[in-house]
Amino acid sequence: MRRITEVFGGRRNLLFSGLLLALLFILLLDLFFVHHIFSPFVYFYLCFALVIVFYGIYPLYVSRRLTRYYWDRTKRHHLAVIGLVFIIFLVAVAIFGPFLTQDPTKVDFPNKNLPPVGFSAEQSTYDRTTGQFITRETPGTWLHPLGTDDKGRDMLAMLVSGTRISLQVGLMATLIAIFIGLIMGVVSAYLGGWADNALMRFTDIMMTFPFFLLLVFIVFIFGPSLWFIILAIGLTGWTGTARLVRSESLSLRTRDFIMASKSLGASDRRIVFHHLIPNVLSSVIVIATLSIPGVILAEAALSFIGLGDPTVTSWGLVLQAGQRSLETAWWIAVEPGIMLFLTVLAFNFLGDGVRDAFDPRSQV
Amino acid sequence: MATNNTILQVSELKTYFFTRLGVVRAVDGVSFGLRQGECLCLVGESGCGKTATALSILRLVDSPPGQIVGGEIKYHNENLLRSTGARLRQIRGNRIAMIFQDPQSSLNPVLTVGEQIMEPIRLHLKLGHRQARDKALSLMKQVGIPQSAERMAYFPHQLSGGMKQRVMIAAALSCNPEILIADEPTTALDTTIKAQILDIFRELKQQMNMSILFITHDLGTVAGIADRIIVMYGGRIAEAGSTLDIFDQPKHPYTWGLLNCLPTIAERREKLSPIPGMIPSLIDPPEGCIFHPRCQWRMSVCQQAKPPEYVISGEHIAACYLYQKAPASAGL
Amino acid sequence: MERKLLEVDNLKKHYPVTAGLFARHVADVKAVDGVSFFITEGETLGLVGESGCGKSSLGRTLLRLEEPTSGQVFYKGRDITAWNKKQLKELRREAQMIFQDPQSSLDPKATIGDSIGEALLIHGVTSEKERLARVEALLQRVGLEPGHATRYPHELSGGQKQRIGIARALAVNPKLIVADEPVSALDVSVQAQILNLMLDLQGELSLAYLFIAHDLAVIGQVSSRIAVMYLGQIVELADRDGLFQRPLHPYTQALLSAVFLPDPHRKRQHIPLAGEVPSPIAPPSGCRFHTRCPRVMKVCRQETPIFQPIDKDHLVACHLYDGK
Repeated sequence: MRRITEVFGGRRNLLFSGLLLALLFILLLDLFFVHHIFSPFVYFYLCFALVIVFYGIYPLYVSRRLTRYYWDRTKRHHLAVIGLVFIIFLVAVAIFGPFLTQDPTKVDFPNKNLPPVGFSAEQSTYDRTTGQFITRETPGTWLHPLGTDDKGRDMLAMLVSGTRISLQVGLMATLIAIFIGLIMGVVSAYLGGWADNALMRFTDIMMTFPFFLLLVFIVFIFGPSLWFIILAIGLTGWTGTARLVRSESLSLRTRDFIMASKSLGASDRRIVFHHLIPNVLSSVIVIATLSIPGVILAEAALSFIGLGDPTVTSWGLVLQAGQRSLETAWWIAVEPGIMLFLTVLAFNFLGDGVRDAFDPRSQV
Repeated sequence: MATNNTILQVSELKTYFFTRLGVVRAVDGVSFGLRQGECLCLVGESGCGKTATALSILRLVDSPPGQIVGGEIKYHNENLLRSTGARLRQIRGNRIAMIFQDPQSSLNPVLTVGEQIMEPIRLHLKLGHRQARDKALSLMKQVGIPQSAERMAYFPHQLSGGMKQRVMIAAALSCNPEILIADEPTTALDTTIKAQILDIFRELKQQMNMSILFITHDLGTVAGIADRIIVMYGGRIAEAGSTLDIFDQPKHPYTWGLLNCLPTIAERREKLSPIPGMIPSLIDPPEGCIFHPRCQWRMSVCQQAKPPEYVISGEHIAACYLYQKAPASAGL
Repeated sequence: MERKLLEVDNLKKHYPVTAGLFARHVADVKAVDGVSFFITEGETLGLVGESGCGKSSLGRTLLRLEEPTSGQVFYKGRDITAWNKKQLKELRREAQMIFQDPQSSLDPKATIGDSIGEALLIHGVTSEKERLARVEALLQRVGLEPGHATRYPHELSGGQKQRIGIARALAVNPKLIVADEPVSALDVSVQAQILNLMLDLQGELSLAYLFIAHDLAVIGQVSSRIAVMYLGQIVELADRDGLFQRPLHPYTQALLSAVFLPDPHRKRQHIPLAGEVPSPIAPPSGCRFHTRCPRVMKVCRQETPIFQPIDKDHLVACHLYDGK
């Protein structure tokens, strides 16, 4: 007899902690003795994957019936399913894509400004033998199916790399934000009284905090880095989640099943972890799905105005590079724009579907 | 048997809800007539189609998913199912008014109760502010709201449940409607308040000769107010007749079950006799008579075809094969 | 001699009303305001009252699901108001609760087996196999299939959910069950099934019930004694027949007269009650019922009536019976 709520107890928890410790041990070994077998990012990803498997996939598998029920309800939104398919595609691209494409940073000036396959563009090139500029029609080639930018870098490779960056930022920052929000919200609702008051006033202050200014400061002090951007978005973006979780928890706390659990002698810990959190989780999932596109857009915007990490090829960066040559090479700006548009749309569609599926008011 | 003073005649009404899980046959061929000055009660448990029937009369069924797929609703000589939207708006609230179960959610929280009572008066009767106000005041007095002049300026949250229900009744009465449809108007109220509200309905019937279609699940309430009763089950009429017919000579096994399973204060029964089983799903209802899986008297014929309405005597009808020898009804 | 299972002595539960930024305490909602009664082993005490009279608060407070403001509750002779968490866990094995709304009393994200099994898990049945066996036995006991254990609440009807609520309460083999309006959210035909089930279980397991309801007919069907509550206080307490045949308190009389019998021949002599229930924040002085009482006297406005026995086992708090 298992349940989605047994997430926080028993053998599974133990196994998870064990694996996490092992990972930490290898990381330390790597840092101080063997020196960089893997990049530190790999450890972070592994850690992330462990969380997903243990607290995402496993509980979904255990409570198959419930998963099926929610899936059936989500499925009724065709757009949500399309969104989900696209997101799965994006994740696959982000994970495996960079191994299959060329190096997105490889500069190749002779092949600059190549249009995508099926298009052709006029280009003026300098001919060394004659010493003259000649204009000729260049068609796209299959070597660069989506064309190249003004430095001859492969657009496909850059978009794939950008996918990885965008998803990284979107998922990680959102994960950090909802984690903090969840803790703040539940703690606030459960403790009540002055603790609740203090936490919520703190949330209010965070809400009014100019997140943009913070980023400018961070970039100014530490230099632009993707990780600082992720942390900055994550550490400032939890306020909405905290408020939602708090109000949901407060209303759940008056529900009879919490009272029933209490009357059975359940401890506070049990009530919080087995009843409160699993029930607010559905709203949290919805808010997370709907906030990912915002984060992705924020990162693109930062890169666009030059506050992004210049060492990684993100969509925002490509977009910004493309706007300078919009007249001669439109595809450099349009392609990342389309990707951004589709990704944001996909998350929004999925979010709407999930929200309707979890909404207790739409029972039919 | 439409008698001359029948002002509302519902025939073979079918209201279905087309949901993603399937078609819910909420009302599946219901016929009855409402006469001038009578109180007709629709009785049944949740999901029996009583509310859908009431909403269909005013064409207030949410669409989609709901749709009236067949039948006729004749108000005087006008088929409401054919009426235009404009004509319906003239009738709603003006000629046929409706009261809902939950007074909390049927009042607009940002308007004062006075404004809400005056709204239909000004809309339908085209009275000026002063006259509308006087009319509203007299209505509030009629339904027993004390200090009515003062309370006109109250917002709904300042009133108790019983008072809110009185406001709802006052608003419904504002245009002297011919027909009042009340959907479980006393269910959300306390026992002593419920008695007060029922007294108002009784007075309306006697003093204003109003026709009331009263919908409830509570047979106890029905006994005190109804002239005639229709017992519904699974979207169809199980039994219909005068109040005395239903209580003294119930014929349908479902009515027997309903009457037997009620606890009473008069005597303590050693054991209640509940109706076994559950209320059926209307998406995939049982074949034949919908009640047959829960019926102790079921015969083989009950599982094959829906029973017609057999006439027991006069206007007492029962849709049950136990009365096969009786002539089939031509509709109530 | 019947043993007193639970005895409540002058129990009060006040909820603070706060206002302003710093949650200043401005008043109290006196939900339960000095209630005393007892329940013997294996009996049913019915508690009847209108909404807002404090009957649900009373049910929760005496199980210490909410902390009492003052007063004492004795379970098997021991005062539980001072018990610590560990001792309370012991109480939870003995005294359980059934809730009104079967929809909200089950965790929507947990299977039925988990909801029922939670009690067993908390009280030390750690073997999954044993838990499953016990859950299946309980499900059968309340008239469901063992296969229901893997279902979720949304897959069940209201009546089935209420049966599960009962099974959950029975899981720890309690001696006392506080049933808070257990049938008022159910359809009449299902209501009778649940009432019968509760009566069967009582006979079999010698349970005591505190049966809270607003419906006098339902209360009368299950109770041996009945307490009538008004604005946080018990105004009358008597055995079932005594209360129904000879109600003493004007409020009880009015309540009884307002009961709708499914019998069109019976003409009700309905005692109309003027006005509405006053606010429990500032209850009326003297007798709390005096603002609505058809037989109000001068003394009622000034002096609080004493809750005293008139007959054997028939107690009432009303000045009409002073000196009798």
